[in-house]
Amino acid sequence: MVSNAFAIDILIRVFLFAFIGVAWNLLGGYAQQLSLGHAAYFGLGAYTSTLLLIRAGVSPWIGMAAGGVVAAAASLPIGALCFRLRGPYFAIATIGTAQTLMLLFLKFRDFAWGAVGTTIPNLGNAPLMMQFTAKAAYYYVALALLALGLAVTSWVERSWLGYYLVAVGEDQHAAEAVGVNVPRIKRDIYLISAFLTGLAGTFYTQYIYFIDPNTAFSFNISVEAALVSIVGGIGTLWGPVLGAVVLEPASALAQSWLGGGAHAGVQLALYAVILIAVILWRPTGLLGALTAVYARVVRAAPAGVPGTGRPVRKGLPLDG
Amino acid sequence: MAEALVVRGLSKRFGGLRAVHDLSFSVQEGQTVALIGPNGAGKTTSFNLITGYYRPDAGSALAFGHELVGLYPYDVCARGLARTFQVARPFGRMTVLANVMTGALLRDKRVAAARERALKAIDFVGLSAKEASPARDLSTIDQRRLEVARALATEPRLLLLDEAMAGLNHTEIDQAVGLVRQLSQRGLTIVIVEHVMRAIMAVAQHIVVLDHGQKIAEGSPKEIAANPEVIRAYLGTGGGH
Repeated sequence: MVSNAFAIDILIRVFLFAFIGVAWNLLGGYAQQLSLGHAAYFGLGAYTSTLLLIRAGVSPWIGMAAGGVVAAAASLPIGALCFRLRGPYFAIATIGTAQTLMLLFLKFRDFAWGAVGTTIPNLGNAPLMMQFTAKAAYYYVALALLALGLAVTSWVERSWLGYYLVAVGEDQHAAEAVGVNVPRIKRDIYLISAFLTGLAGTFYTQYIYFIDPNTAFSFNISVEAALVSIVGGIGTLWGPVLGAVVLEPASALAQSWLGGGAHAGVQLALYAVILIAVILWRPTGLLGALTAVYARVVRAAPAGVPGTGRPVRKGLPLDG
Repeated sequence: MAEALVVRGLSKRFGGLRAVHDLSFSVQEGQTVALIGPNGAGKTTSFNLITGYYRPDAGSALAFGHELVGLYPYDVCARGLARTFQVARPFGRMTVLANVMTGALLRDKRVAAARERALKAIDFVGLSAKEASPARDLSTIDQRRLEVARALATEPRLLLLDEAMAGLNHTEIDQAVGLVRQLSQRGLTIVIVEHVMRAIMAVAQHIVVLDHGQKIAEGSPKEIAANPEVIRAYLGTGGGH
């Protein structure tokens, strides 16, 4: 029973972080705007639903949608500021936005419980309030969120927006030359990405029955959002899912073997090693590696780019 | 004939350098006009000023009666001006088809319709055999073809070609000249920045000569070829092919 609960917990984490990765991937993967501040939207989603629940008794299902809207709204001023910067400077600025929000929530105790945080009132089995006694129920909610994220991504990939996003990611000047309103495209995809990330924040808080600024706006959330996508394969539909399937169990196992408290940095060190390995040997991520192997085994002739060892990426905007 | 492009007093400084100074010229609808001059004369800067990549310090550029100064590059493109870059800038990760579709999506957001129009543009520039190749794998001339196709897919009324023939061999230049002529015959207005004199004489009806950011002469190819100041400034400095 214990090991079963542990397995379900890992699966929920896999789905949750795959979903966050999918949300991140819209902006960071397709449009190649490397955000390291998605914890801002995760935290805003978490706090919005919790405040609505505790202060006004609003169901977290409604709170979740409200959290997404708050996160999306917050992405507008944050994007207006951060998109003035390019490349690593953009990434650093986004880190700053999540950290700033964390400090605000730590400081204003009367508004949202400050550093001590709060527990979510336990109502027993209350599906309408997003509370379940059976852990499996959370599993299905996380799976549904992931399905939503994949559906959105799949739509984006097949629509004009997918072509525009990849064009923005490849060369912003060239994209503008063919009529792509680059600032608007970045703003719109950031909005969608932030909305989805906000939903994840609500779910996570309901799942662990606790919220405080350090968990909700944790830098780890931002890092994992980017990491699952980069490891799995950025700018691909299934990349973040594959990345989460590999990374989440690995980090959970590493924590349970080595003890999370005594070796607090172990998880990040493990991530660092995996990230360096992927960037050095497989910049297209695990999905790129698998596609190459598949091409080699299934078709006699490699489908990759001759002489580069790089596979042709899957996904509509890329292969027409 | 109506005027497609009217440039008046366009000026741009970079620090102490007068990149373009008080430049004026106009282009009639359906005409092919060449902008020539030695390296650093301000030809590409003029393109960047007209297409919204740089803000001019002074002057105006009217396209089909509408002011372009102050518009962003994507708005300029939406107004019917498409450009290519001196060094081709394909979307490397995308296939040839996806590149051109990205251009075609400007006028119609439906992917299937964009695909149809992209295929026509790719066929027109002669890249059909490579439509499924990633753009980064193309040779120099094919990348240029791709850029022209991508620009054409936005359905421009005025096409600005920035040194589309640099680095091409004689056969390829002949092909490129043929392509520009075909575009012109279809009624497209063309402004072309070029170093290859042979190509300019073959396609341009009117030539504007720049030197040190200023216009030093303009006229028909015959007049320009015989202009002593042009020969001194441009043809005399090793530019004569």
